[in-house]
Amino acid sequence: MFKELDPILHSQLRLAVVSLLISVKEAEFGFLKEKTNATAGNLSVQISKLKEAGYVEVSKQFKDNYPLTICKITQVGVQAFEDYVNALQSYMHR
Amino acid sequence: MQAENFTEQDSLKLINEMISKAKKSHIEKGIASILWGGLIFFCSMYTWVETQFNFNGGDPWILTLVALAIQIFFAAKDGKKRNYKSYEADVLGSVWIAFGICMFVLIIYSNKHPSNGEITSLFMMLYALPTFVTGKVTKFKPMVYGGIFCWLFSLISIFTPFKIDSLLMAACGLAAWLIPGIILWNQYKKTPKAANV
Repeated sequence: MFKELDPILHSQLRLAVVSLLISVKEAEFGFLKEKTNATAGNLSVQISKLKEAGYVEVSKQFKDNYPLTICKITQVGVQAFEDYVNALQSYMHR
Repeated sequence: MQAENFTEQDSLKLINEMISKAKKSHIEKGIASILWGGLIFFCSMYTWVETQFNFNGGDPWILTLVALAIQIFFAAKDGKKRNYKSYEADVLGSVWIAFGICMFVLIIYSNKHPSNGEITSLFMMLYALPTFVTGKVTKFKPMVYGGIFCWLFSLISIFTPFKIDSLLMAACGLAAWLIPGIILWNQYKKTPKAANV
Protein backbone atom coordinates (compact mmCIF):
# COMPACT_ATOMS: atom_id res chain seq x y z
CA MET A 1 0.00 0.00 0.00
CA PHE A 2 1.53 3.29 -1.12
CA LYS A 3 1.03 6.57 0.64
CA GLU A 4 -0.91 9.10 -1.36
CA LEU A 5 1.12 12.11 -2.46
CA ASP A 6 0.01 15.37 -0.86
CA PRO A 7 -1.82 17.25 -3.67
CA ILE A 8 -0.75 20.59 -2.21
CA LEU A 9 2.92 19.69 -2.59
CA HIS A 10 2.61 17.56 -5.73
CA SER A 11 2.63 20.63 -7.92
CA GLN A 12 5.84 21.79 -9.53
CA LEU A 13 5.92 25.40 -8.38
CA ARG A 14 4.56 24.78 -4.87
CA LEU A 15 7.07 21.97 -4.36
CA ALA A 16 9.87 24.24 -5.60
CA VAL A 17 8.84 26.97 -3.16
CA VAL A 18 8.64 24.57 -0.21
CA SER A 19 12.00 22.99 -1.15
CA LEU A 20 13.60 26.43 -1.14
CA LEU A 21 11.96 27.43 2.13
CA ILE A 22 13.02 24.21 3.84
CA SER A 23 16.64 25.17 3.08
CA VAL A 24 16.54 28.71 4.47
CA LYS A 25 15.21 30.40 7.59
CA GLU A 26 13.08 32.84 5.60
CA ALA A 27 13.03 34.25 2.10
CA GLU A 28 11.76 37.33 0.33
CA PHE A 29 9.30 36.98 -2.54
CA GLY A 30 12.07 38.16 -4.91
CA PHE A 31 14.34 35.29 -3.85
CA LEU A 32 11.62 32.71 -4.57
CA LYS A 33 10.82 34.33 -7.91
CA GLU A 34 14.47 34.41 -8.93
CA LYS A 35 15.14 30.76 -8.00
CA THR A 36 11.94 29.30 -9.46
CA ASN A 37 11.86 31.49 -12.59
CA ALA A 38 8.11 31.81 -12.08
CA THR A 39 6.02 34.84 -12.92
CA ALA A 40 5.09 37.09 -10.00
CA GLY A 41 1.37 36.39 -10.50
CA ASN A 42 1.69 32.61 -10.60
CA LEU A 43 4.08 32.57 -7.66
CA SER A 44 1.76 34.75 -5.64
CA VAL A 45 -1.19 32.40 -6.28
CA GLN A 46 0.82 29.30 -5.30
CA ILE A 47 2.16 30.95 -2.15
CA SER A 48 -1.42 31.83 -1.19
CA LYS A 49 -2.39 28.15 -1.58
CA LEU A 50 0.53 27.09 0.61
CA LYS A 51 -0.49 29.69 3.15
CA GLU A 52 -4.11 28.47 3.16
CA ALA A 53 -2.84 24.95 3.82
CA GLY A 54 -0.82 26.28 6.74
CA TYR A 55 2.48 25.24 5.14
CA VAL A 56 3.99 28.72 4.93
CA GLU A 57 3.76 31.90 6.92
CA VAL A 58 3.66 35.13 4.96
CA SER A 59 4.48 38.50 6.46
CA LYS A 60 4.53 41.95 4.90
CA GLN A 61 7.24 44.47 5.73
CA PHE A 62 8.86 47.53 4.22
CA LYS A 63 12.43 47.77 2.92
CA ASP A 64 13.65 51.18 1.72
CA ASN A 65 10.01 52.32 1.50
CA TYR A 66 9.09 49.38 -0.77
CA PRO A 67 6.67 46.67 0.35
CA LEU A 68 8.33 43.37 1.01
CA THR A 69 6.77 39.91 1.27
CA ILE A 70 8.63 37.45 3.47
CA CYS A 71 7.85 33.73 3.45
CA LYS A 72 8.77 31.17 6.04
CA ILE A 73 7.94 27.48 6.26
CA THR A 74 5.83 26.45 9.26
CA GLN A 75 6.18 23.33 11.40
CA VAL A 76 3.11 21.91 9.59
CA GLY A 77 4.89 22.62 6.30
CA VAL A 78 8.07 20.88 7.45
CA GLN A 79 6.07 17.81 8.50
CA ALA A 80 4.13 17.80 5.20
CA PHE A 81 7.40 18.04 3.26
CA GLU A 82 8.93 15.15 5.22
CA ASP A 83 5.81 13.02 4.67
CA TYR A 84 5.88 13.91 0.97
CA VAL A 85 9.53 12.87 0.61
CA ASN A 86 8.85 9.61 2.53
CA ALA A 87 5.91 8.90 0.24
CA LEU A 88 8.08 9.59 -2.81
CA GLN A 89 10.71 7.19 -1.52
CA SER A 90 8.12 4.44 -1.05
CA TYR A 91 7.10 4.93 -4.69
CA MET A 92 10.70 4.80 -5.84
CA HIS A 93 11.36 1.51 -3.97
CA ARG A 94 8.32 -0.36 -5.26
CA MET B 1 7.86 26.87 -14.10
CA GLN B 2 4.29 25.64 -14.58
CA ALA B 3 1.96 23.63 -12.39
CA GLU B 4 1.41 20.35 -14.18
CA ASN B 5 1.42 16.65 -13.43
CA PHE B 6 4.89 15.34 -12.97
CA THR B 7 6.41 12.04 -11.95
CA GLU B 8 7.96 11.02 -8.62
CA GLN B 9 11.41 11.19 -10.25
CA ASP B 10 10.68 14.72 -11.41
CA SER B 11 9.67 15.63 -7.85
CA LEU B 12 12.89 14.35 -6.34
CA LYS B 13 14.94 16.03 -9.06
CA LEU B 14 13.16 19.32 -8.41
CA ILE B 15 13.65 19.07 -4.63
CA ASN B 16 17.37 18.43 -5.10
CA GLU B 17 17.68 21.24 -7.62
CA MET B 18 15.96 23.78 -5.36
CA ILE B 19 17.89 22.78 -2.21
CA SER B 20 21.10 23.05 -4.20
CA LYS B 21 20.09 26.46 -5.60
CA ALA B 22 19.30 27.71 -2.09
CA LYS B 23 22.67 26.50 -0.80
CA LYS B 24 24.55 28.20 -3.63
CA SER B 25 22.67 31.47 -3.19
CA HIS B 26 25.45 33.20 -1.37
CA ILE B 27 29.10 32.98 -2.25
CA GLU B 28 31.34 34.25 0.53
CA LYS B 29 33.77 36.84 -0.83
CA GLY B 30 36.21 36.65 2.08
CA ILE B 31 36.53 40.45 2.39
CA ALA B 32 36.12 40.44 6.18
CA SER B 33 38.66 37.62 6.51
CA ILE B 34 41.21 39.47 4.39
CA LEU B 35 40.59 42.71 6.29
CA TRP B 36 40.99 41.21 9.77
CA GLY B 37 43.74 38.76 8.81
CA GLY B 38 45.73 41.55 7.17
CA LEU B 39 45.17 43.85 10.13
CA ILE B 40 46.18 41.29 12.78
CA PHE B 41 49.25 40.40 10.70
CA PHE B 42 50.26 44.05 10.27
CA CYS B 43 49.66 45.07 13.91
CA SER B 44 51.47 42.01 15.29
CA MET B 45 54.46 42.54 13.01
CA TYR B 46 54.51 46.24 13.95
CA THR B 47 54.47 45.28 17.64
CA TRP B 48 57.31 42.82 16.99
CA VAL B 49 59.38 45.52 15.21
CA GLU B 50 58.74 47.90 18.15
CA THR B 51 59.94 45.27 20.62
CA GLN B 52 62.85 44.10 18.48
CA PHE B 53 64.25 47.57 17.76
CA ASN B 54 63.14 49.05 21.06
CA PHE B 55 61.13 52.02 19.87
CA ASN B 56 57.63 53.28 20.56
CA GLY B 57 55.80 54.13 17.37
CA GLY B 58 52.33 54.35 18.87
CA ASP B 59 49.64 51.72 19.27
CA PRO B 60 48.85 50.09 15.91
CA TRP B 61 45.94 48.16 17.43
CA ILE B 62 43.86 51.33 17.34
CA LEU B 63 43.39 50.44 13.66
CA THR B 64 40.99 47.69 14.75
CA LEU B 65 38.39 50.45 15.28
CA VAL B 66 38.79 51.50 11.64
CA ALA B 67 38.50 47.87 10.54
CA LEU B 68 35.38 47.49 12.66
CA ALA B 69 33.79 50.51 10.95
CA ILE B 70 34.69 49.12 7.51
CA GLN B 71 33.24 45.74 8.40
CA ILE B 72 29.98 47.21 9.70
CA PHE B 73 29.68 49.17 6.43
CA PHE B 74 30.19 46.07 4.27
CA ALA B 75 27.91 43.91 6.46
CA ALA B 76 25.11 46.50 6.20
CA LYS B 77 25.57 46.72 2.42
CA ASP B 78 25.55 42.93 2.09
CA GLY B 79 22.51 42.62 4.38
CA LYS B 80 20.54 45.07 2.23
CA LYS B 81 21.29 43.08 -0.93
CA ARG B 82 20.52 39.67 0.55
CA ASN B 83 16.93 38.59 0.00
CA TYR B 84 16.86 35.60 2.32
CA LYS B 85 18.11 34.50 5.73
CA SER B 86 19.88 31.20 6.15
CA TYR B 87 20.13 29.13 9.33
CA GLU B 88 23.89 28.94 8.79
CA ALA B 89 24.36 32.73 8.66
CA ASP B 90 22.18 33.09 11.74
CA VAL B 91 24.26 30.65 13.80
CA LEU B 92 27.58 32.05 12.58
CA GLY B 93 26.41 35.60 13.20
CA SER B 94 25.75 34.69 16.84
CA VAL B 95 29.12 32.98 17.17
CA TRP B 96 30.98 36.06 15.82
CA ILE B 97 28.96 38.44 18.02
CA ALA B 98 29.87 36.29 21.05
CA PHE B 99 33.51 36.39 19.89
CA GLY B 100 33.35 40.18 19.57
CA ILE B 101 31.98 40.51 23.11
CA CYS B 102 34.68 38.20 24.51
CA MET B 103 37.36 40.22 22.69
CA PHE B 104 35.95 43.46 24.08
CA VAL B 105 36.01 42.11 27.65
CA LEU B 106 39.53 40.72 27.18
CA ILE B 107 40.81 44.06 25.80
CA ILE B 108 39.32 45.90 28.82
CA TYR B 109 40.91 43.32 31.12
CA SER B 110 44.33 43.59 29.46
CA ASN B 111 44.24 47.40 29.76
CA LYS B 112 43.23 47.22 33.42
CA HIS B 113 45.84 44.59 34.25
CA PRO B 114 48.85 45.25 31.98
CA SER B 115 51.11 42.24 31.63
CA ASN B 116 54.23 41.30 29.70
CA GLY B 117 52.20 39.75 26.94
CA GLU B 118 50.93 36.71 28.86
CA ILE B 119 47.43 37.57 27.73
CA THR B 120 48.43 37.16 24.06
CA SER B 121 47.94 33.40 24.48
CA LEU B 122 44.31 34.02 25.46
CA PHE B 123 43.73 36.24 22.41
CA MET B 124 45.06 33.53 20.12
CA MET B 125 42.97 30.91 21.87
CA LEU B 126 39.92 33.10 21.34
CA TYR B 127 40.73 33.68 17.64
CA ALA B 128 40.61 29.93 17.12
CA LEU B 129 37.06 29.41 18.35
CA PRO B 130 34.89 31.29 15.81
CA THR B 131 37.34 30.44 13.02
CA PHE B 132 37.12 26.72 13.73
CA VAL B 133 33.32 26.79 14.10
CA THR B 134 32.91 28.81 10.86
CA GLY B 135 35.16 26.37 9.01
CA LYS B 136 33.21 23.38 10.33
CA VAL B 137 29.74 24.83 9.67
CA THR B 138 30.60 26.06 6.17
CA LYS B 139 32.73 22.95 5.45
CA PHE B 140 35.64 25.23 4.54
CA LYS B 141 38.78 23.37 5.51
CA PRO B 142 41.29 26.28 5.39
CA MET B 143 39.39 27.91 8.29
CA VAL B 144 39.23 24.66 10.24
CA TYR B 145 43.02 24.37 9.89
CA GLY B 146 43.35 28.10 10.67
CA GLY B 147 41.50 27.57 13.95
CA ILE B 148 43.67 24.58 14.83
CA PHE B 149 46.82 26.60 14.05
CA CYS B 150 45.61 29.36 16.40
CA TRP B 151 45.18 26.86 19.24
CA LEU B 152 48.61 25.43 18.49
CA PHE B 153 50.25 28.88 18.42
CA SER B 154 48.39 29.81 21.60
CA LEU B 155 49.81 26.73 23.30
CA ILE B 156 53.35 27.48 22.09
CA SER B 157 53.06 31.14 23.19
CA ILE B 158 52.58 30.04 26.82
CA PHE B 159 56.28 29.07 26.79
CA THR B 160 57.72 31.86 24.65
CA PRO B 161 58.67 35.51 25.38
CA PHE B 162 56.42 38.38 24.27
CA LYS B 163 58.59 39.16 21.22
CA ILE B 164 57.96 35.67 19.83
CA ASP B 165 54.29 35.88 20.85
CA SER B 166 53.92 38.81 18.45
CA LEU B 167 55.26 36.69 15.62
CA LEU B 168 52.91 33.86 16.61
CA MET B 169 50.02 36.33 16.66
CA ALA B 170 50.98 37.46 13.14
CA ALA B 171 51.02 33.81 12.09
CA CYS B 172 47.50 33.44 13.56
CA GLY B 173 46.30 36.36 11.42
CA LEU B 174 47.76 34.69 8.35
CA ALA B 175 46.56 31.15 9.07
CA ALA B 176 43.10 31.88 10.43
CA TRP B 177 41.92 34.74 8.23
CA LEU B 178 44.25 36.18 5.61
CA ILE B 179 45.04 32.96 3.73
CA PRO B 180 41.46 31.54 3.99
CA GLY B 181 40.15 34.98 2.94
CA ILE B 182 42.35 35.04 -0.16
CA ILE B 183 41.22 31.50 -1.03
CA LEU B 184 37.57 32.60 -0.66
CA TRP B 185 38.16 35.68 -2.81
CA ASN B 186 39.75 33.57 -5.56
CA GLN B 187 36.84 31.11 -5.41
CA TYR B 188 34.40 34.02 -5.63
CA LYS B 189 36.20 35.45 -8.66
CA LYS B 190 36.04 32.08 -10.42
CA THR B 191 32.29 31.69 -9.77
CA PRO B 192 30.03 32.52 -12.73
CA LYS B 193 28.46 36.00 -12.40
CA ALA B 194 24.90 34.63 -12.13
CA ALA B 195 25.69 32.88 -8.84
CA ASN B 196 27.21 35.99 -7.27
CA VAL B 197 23.92 37.44 -6.13
